[in-house]
Amino acid sequence: MINPSNGMISTSSAAANAQSPGLKTYFKTPEGRYKLHYEKTHPSGLLHYAHGKTVTQVTIANLKDKPAPSTPPAPPSSFSASSGVRSAAARLLGAGNGSRALGFVGGNGGSKSLSGSSRIGSLGASSSSSSMINTNFDGKGTYIIFNVGDAIFISDLNSQDKDPIKSIHFSNSNPVCHAFDQDAKDGHDLLIGLNSGDVYSVSLRQQLQDVGKKLVGAHHYNKDGSVNNGRCASIAWVPGGDGAFVVAHADGNLYVYEKSKDGAGDSSFPVIKDQTQFSVAHARYSKSNPIARWHICQGPINSIAFSTDGTHLATVGRDGYLRVFDYSKEQLICGGKSYYGALLCCAWSMDGKYILTGGEDDLVQVWSMEDRKVVAWGEGHNSWVSGVAFDSYWSSPNSDGTGETVMYRFGSVGQDTRLLLWDLEMDEIVVPFRRGPPGGSPTFSTGSQSAHWDNVPVGTLQPAPSIRDVPKLSPLVAHRIHTEPLSGVIFTQESVLTVCREGHIKIWMRPGFAESQSGNNSETLLSTSSKEKPLLSSKVGSSSYRQ
Amino acid sequence: MGAAGSKLEKALGDQFPEGERYFGLENFGNTCYCNSVLQALYFCVPFREQLLDYYANNKNIGDAEENLLTCLADLFTQISSQKKKTGVIAPKRFVQRLKKQNELFRSYMHQDAHEFLNFLLNELVDILEKEAQAAKSDPETSSPTEKTANGPKNGQLNGVRKEPLVTWVHKNFQGILTNETKCLRCETVTARDETFFDLSLDIEQNSSITSCLKNFSSTETLNAEDKFFCDKCCSLQEAQKRMKIKKPPHILVIHLKRFKYIEQLGRYKKLSYRVVFPLELKLSNTVEDADIEYSLFAVVVHVGSGPNHGHYVSLVKSHNHWLFFDDENVEMIDESAVQTFFGSAQEYSSNTDHGYILFYESLGASNKS
Repeated sequence: MINPSNGMISTSSAAANAQSPGLKTYFKTPEGRYKLHYEKTHPSGLLHYAHGKTVTQVTIANLKDKPAPSTPPAPPSSFSASSGVRSAAARLLGAGNGSRALGFVGGNGGSKSLSGSSRIGSLGASSSSSSMINTNFDGKGTYIIFNVGDAIFISDLNSQDKDPIKSIHFSNSNPVCHAFDQDAKDGHDLLIGLNSGDVYSVSLRQQLQDVGKKLVGAHHYNKDGSVNNGRCASIAWVPGGDGAFVVAHADGNLYVYEKSKDGAGDSSFPVIKDQTQFSVAHARYSKSNPIARWHICQGPINSIAFSTDGTHLATVGRDGYLRVFDYSKEQLICGGKSYYGALLCCAWSMDGKYILTGGEDDLVQVWSMEDRKVVAWGEGHNSWVSGVAFDSYWSSPNSDGTGETVMYRFGSVGQDTRLLLWDLEMDEIVVPFRRGPPGGSPTFSTGSQSAHWDNVPVGTLQPAPSIRDVPKLSPLVAHRIHTEPLSGVIFTQESVLTVCREGHIKIWMRPGFAESQSGNNSETLLSTSSKEKPLLSSKVGSSSYRQ
Repeated sequence: MGAAGSKLEKALGDQFPEGERYFGLENFGNTCYCNSVLQALYFCVPFREQLLDYYANNKNIGDAEENLLTCLADLFTQISSQKKKTGVIAPKRFVQRLKKQNELFRSYMHQDAHEFLNFLLNELVDILEKEAQAAKSDPETSSPTEKTANGPKNGQLNGVRKEPLVTWVHKNFQGILTNETKCLRCETVTARDETFFDLSLDIEQNSSITSCLKNFSSTETLNAEDKFFCDKCCSLQEAQKRMKIKKPPHILVIHLKRFKYIEQLGRYKKLSYRVVFPLELKLSNTVEDADIEYSLFAVVVHVGSGPNHGHYVSLVKSHNHWLFFDDENVEMIDESAVQTFFGSAQEYSSNTDHGYILFYESLGASNKS
């Protein structure tokens, strides 16, 4: 029957069939066009959705040119010149992965012995195995690691191949988070956390060199959820932590592991006395792994991030709080609540002065470590903010003599399928008018939120700010770039990488990089990039670029 | 059914809330629209408590004739006084009364849950107002039930009546919208208040409730054919119009307009858009009290791909546990499972379970009138 309750609907909103106007292959910014360079996805036929849907996350991994121990570390995200060769190999391997009937006769035998081998043995084993398949694949360059369904996929960042070069399937549970350590001292540089709470550490190179579809040479931590059976929410290497890593679980606990230790020891922790309070418990035995449990909050932790230097750890969670810890002192320093709803993502500025968070209030929050409070709200998303990142490669065009200084550039992606770019200039942020007692200092007129942290004891969490008290930012640009809700954004030197929940990745070349890149493969990337760099500073008024 | 009940009891174990009852409701042939809304209302604790209070205090007043209010109170009392903690109840009297009262709900066809909720709340208010008038032995009786209103836009609930009585139904659900119109010639702002029991929001693909609320309150320009008659200019003028929430309700009911009339098709179509709703919400489009926080406690879900068929279920938060009510079945679900009812990011998705009516309760002190 006709539904009279909806008969009142005004026809003002967009027509229902305005669903998918063609997405553009570029987006404009004041400094020029970002062009869609590569798309990466997964062969959907390979997926088994037996464990239910998961949200895709992406990790970028830069493998050094030579096996790790013998070479000095290369600077992050430098691109090897041999990418043409690499991508050719990638295509070969990709084809191999696509065929289900692959026999793994040699490869599997090798991997069997590897996975059986002990932790210390894995390095040697990996090099022997690499010599075996080395003709196919050299195991260096920059890769994208992403999870979809029950699999981890690995793609070559600099090849135009859409399909991954490698897939690793998990039979017991879905992989949901991962992290890569650029400077890993021994072979294990990749962490994978599962929905079941299980955690693996492996060598990425070893996975690439193996032709099978299973994880090889892995160390297994929290086996079958023996320590914690809550879903892994976020996983991270401790920067400069000598192989230490942390895993945040859906039940509000975070565990510290050391990859050099066996995961088999007794690692029980005392019962948490007060679920509402932050507490740290250390393992009773020196052999235990994990070595510590941090009880952070009630309910899920959604994301964690270390400051670049590793001194601070930020967590965000279901309870809507950002928490910042001094990692080595195991101490809660500061934090605050979202406007409302859960926080979903967080990221540090390179200098450790600011933290971005995004969440279910559709806002991008800028948290100042100096002020220990929210200093700006970015308004512009039409749905939850699921990914935030500072563009650490952005250089502000402040040399043009106008005296205008753009201090930080950051990006955010949301479930509204859009990417927003923002400029953060602290001098520009104007504190809005507050209603307070006349003559009173505006800073203190509204109570706790605006008080300077000098008056606040360490470890105090700020309540949600009032909407009138927080300066608002508008996005520089806002572009609908995917058809599905987004789950992450990463800035590299050459590009912006965006990923949607369903596992489709787009790589957008920065202005100046794209022209030389499109069409043929990246042979001369480094030289081109330095040549074209001055183009970045062409500055145009931003307002015309807003959607 | 009994087994399902004990399963739920097992799942909750010693965490089973003291004095709480989780009962499924029997379906009498396409009465899921009714069951899903009744569950949401039952777990709207201030509403339930006031209804039970009312019933306790008025039970014996001359065995007053049966009406929807007494039938609802009777049903809620029946549930809350069950010896068992879980099970199934047949809301027979209530459904019979409903069908007697309104021919719309008489057929066995699929009905709209939002329409039912709106009819029910207005009916309860009418009954309470009549009683209050009778108690005052005022000979003047109010007019019979007005045609069911649908959200604020058609404004049938608004305070045209003189001195409307504020009943406990109003105290729970009523909010006030203010419709501000600014004449672009003389710049005079005309504000007109109207009350509402729920907000009906237009939805967009891959958006959030926050964003839909923002659109609801966004400024609209009245021009061309749609000019505004300005009293000061005494003529039709271009004007800007916007809706703001003047008084936020204690229980905020949000209706997503998922059933949309498509002119080209000449029929209604279900919009399966993905519209995310947070478990906590604040209203940014208020005149004052901007920072009142609401917490989601119930979701009526429409299951199916079209407007004329399908099924309704409800998700309910009770004592910090989420429960899934599907007619006679009651299950415990994880809070994270609420996300599976947001809708589909793509039109061709096989997911057809979509949040349709959201119930938020203010975390602020009390339901002041």
